Amino acid sequence: MAASAHTSQMRSLNVEELEYQRAATGELVGQAVFSALLVLLFFQLGVILFKVLEPLIRSAPGVLGSGLKVEETLTRAIASALTLLAPFAAYGACGARLRGLAAFDRRRALRVALLAGAVVYAITAMGQWVFQVGPFAEKPSLEMSFEQTADGVLITGIVAGGTADKAGLKVGDLIIAIGRAPTDLAGLKEKIALSAFESKIGLRIARDGEEELVPVEVVPVVEIGLAPLVGGLLLALFIAVAAVVWPGGLTPYVLMILIMVPLLIGYLWLVVASFSYRTEGLLPVNAAGEFGGFTLGNWEFLTRAGTSSNPSIWTITLNTLVIASLMMVLVLLVSSMAGYALSRMNFPGRRSFLSLTLILHGFPAVTLLIAIFFVLRNVGKVPIVGDYFGFNTRGGIALVMVAFELPLGVWLMKGFFDNIPWDMERSALIDGASRWRTFWQILLPQIRPGILALGIFAFISGWGAYLIPQTYSIGTKTATLAVFISQRTSETAPTNWNELAAIGLYQMLPVFIIFVFAQEYLLNIYAGGTKGSS
Amino acid sequence: MRIMLENLTKRFGTVVGVDDITLAVEDGEFVAFLGPSGCGKTTTLLMVAGIYKPTAGIIRFGERVVNQVPPKDRNIGMVFQSYALYPHMTVFGNMSYPLKLKKVSKEEQMLRVQEVADKMGIGDLLDRRPGQLSGGQQQRVALGRALVKQPDVLLFDEPLSNLDARLRLSMRGEIKHLQKELGITAIYVTHDQVEALTMADRIAVMNRGRLEAFDAPDDLYDRPKTLFIAGFVGNPPMNFLEVEVCQENGAFYAVNQGLRAQVPPERGEPAARRGGRVILGVRPEDVTLADAGEVRGSVFLVEPLGRDDLLDVHLDAANRLNVLADPAAHIRAGDTVTLSLNMQRAQFFDPQTEQSLLWR
Repeated sequence: MAASAHTSQMRSLNVEELEYQRAATGELVGQAVFSALLVLLFFQLGVILFKVLEPLIRSAPGVLGSGLKVEETLTRAIASALTLLAPFAAYGACGARLRGLAAFDRRRALRVALLAGAVVYAITAMGQWVFQVGPFAEKPSLEMSFEQTADGVLITGIVAGGTADKAGLKVGDLIIAIGRAPTDLAGLKEKIALSAFESKIGLRIARDGEEELVPVEVVPVVEIGLAPLVGGLLLALFIAVAAVVWPGGLTPYVLMILIMVPLLIGYLWLVVASFSYRTEGLLPVNAAGEFGGFTLGNWEFLTRAGTSSNPSIWTITLNTLVIASLMMVLVLLVSSMAGYALSRMNFPGRRSFLSLTLILHGFPAVTLLIAIFFVLRNVGKVPIVGDYFGFNTRGGIALVMVAFELPLGVWLMKGFFDNIPWDMERSALIDGASRWRTFWQILLPQIRPGILALGIFAFISGWGAYLIPQTYSIGTKTATLAVFISQRTSETAPTNWNELAAIGLYQMLPVFIIFVFAQEYLLNIYAGGTKGSS
Repeated sequence: MRIMLENLTKRFGTVVGVDDITLAVEDGEFVAFLGPSGCGKTTTLLMVAGIYKPTAGIIRFGERVVNQVPPKDRNIGMVFQSYALYPHMTVFGNMSYPLKLKKVSKEEQMLRVQEVADKMGIGDLLDRRPGQLSGGQQQRVALGRALVKQPDVLLFDEPLSNLDARLRLSMRGEIKHLQKELGITAIYVTHDQVEALTMADRIAVMNRGRLEAFDAPDDLYDRPKTLFIAGFVGNPPMNFLEVEVCQENGAFYAVNQGLRAQVPPERGEPAARRGGRVILGVRPEDVTLADAGEVRGSVFLVEPLGRDDLLDVHLDAANRLNVLADPAAHIRAGDTVTLSLNMQRAQFFDPQTEQSLLWR
């Protein structure tokens, strides 16, 4: 009794391994193939879904209106992408199914993966043959063979009764041009591959010293070469094996990098463009279109002296800095105190105030622009205050943006204060601190990460703000960097995009620096001195 | 400092937190507030500290009414369950904070903090931050911070709940020792009766906002005045059985379906005078296994406690007894046992008023 209990416990320790050991190779292959087939089925369902979706979208033009074309091609593109990717996903799934076995017996897992990969390939190849897709798809062809010679493309073989034969081409003819455009072997092959079925290609051929234009019809032909089949098989085996040995921890990183690449390319372009006259894609080029053409000329705006109608970049920068800093200070001040009150005090209307702030947070700023304009204009009539916080002043612009930022800030600060235990505050009160001192000396230091985060948030949103400064500043007196950039793009004069890239980079620089230095604070969660809380 | 609470009441909206409590803590006395969670003991403590304002009633420190005095002017020290150390300050910063607010000179701050820290055994940790300390060390810092300003009153709000069992035991002794040595009046809130029984000079048992009893630990244990106290104080808790007490030939007997036990006259007489069914209370340690016992029952559950086995004995469908038995007896669940009750220590309660029939 006791002995058998003992052994059963030992066996249960590696029951998984034992199961794998006991399983026949055929069984394991079967499992892997089965998961591959599941994936194939899943992809096919996706294809069917999008194929069904397409006519539905097309049949409802009234709903979608003129945007129809985009969706139509999108569904079709997704369907063909799914068709294309299905076999690869299947090979991968087949390998991934064997990762459990690989943990115990790597070599056996690889052997099984090779077998299963071959089986899955055979199945997909059969499917492709039945549906005439992949390597079995019909390709445009002229039903003849040819090779490059010094004089032109020499026809070396013609399929009897084929389209070339019908058109009257003969072995030994020399193709020199398509229509009037001279061609070589590569050009001809490309032309054929890109032609639609039943279209005609006019081949200019030289026969017995005479040139002749022969129109040949392009026909669909299934050409099964050995190379694509063997290549496909090798690819299948490779993917299956790779899925077995692939370190799983890397997958999220690969996905992340793939997603990040388009973003990084954008930034890369910004940097490259700002230092060159012209860019071709990501390459800086000179006037002749060759690599080169570096210049610092785009950065000339830094040294340009300002005029009354066209202030220098330094005035603009100062404007932006003043607005962003004012915004940071005001947002921090108001939301930390309001957040404290909302977190700690109970007063009538507290709940409705909280929900109201939340609604305000979701309120689109654009709809308030005109109303705020009138408010600011009236503020401008107040003596002294109006000079600093009225319409077309930096203070006024900052004030409006502070108001839009506050709901978020108040809620954020309230959340941070909620996390500080009451005992901390009581302890300070008993230690002899006033409530005000408790707030400044005990509570605020503990939400330092929150303060920093909100402060940086407010500063950056003030630094990059466009809508409010653009609306409430006239001309360039109070223009911020974002407004400055938009003023440099004109609908009537050509825009110097490279200079814009430089100004954009200049605007981005402080934000970048702040992030480099502040991310430590933003990520660091403050180690608490309380136990049992949070 | 003598502390008087007179008809102290605290209401939060319609919820009554503390209901008409009157008690006096003598100068230098160590008083524990004991009760289940939500009984109002912490609320009472926070009123003494000045964090909460009483809804009604008076708090006196000595002769002075302190109802409206803010916490910082009451000269109290408090230790919290969560320690409530300031995480952004060093240990020295934490401990000197009350002194700094009292505008004590830098030199004296150093001197006094060092002195208290040495006494607490944390003299070499002054440069650390609370996050770098163990739970026991944080607890000492919290205690040191409360002591450094030389308070008139020390308040403890379940200070040991977050410590492990061993540390709790040693801190219990240390706190008690310090309090006696310094002679500071102390109020100690806890839900752990062992803490209250071992540390306090007197224990105020609270239940649902009311003061159930205010007595020395021995009195609470041996002479419980209410059914609640009898059931709450003592672990494992007291057994209760419904019995009738009758007099036969000058002797008193507690009688129930399966029970007939003789009761000494000084306990039997008041119970018999009440008449009808009363509640008999017997502590598990007063029930013994005996061949010639008065009660038979079957053992439902055996919980080994180490020194003893705790037996859950079912007498019949409704009545059960917790019994402490010697592990050497090797009792197993399902056994039938005969039990003898030590009626010298039996308690009797009125089932309606839940008051003791023996003690008032």
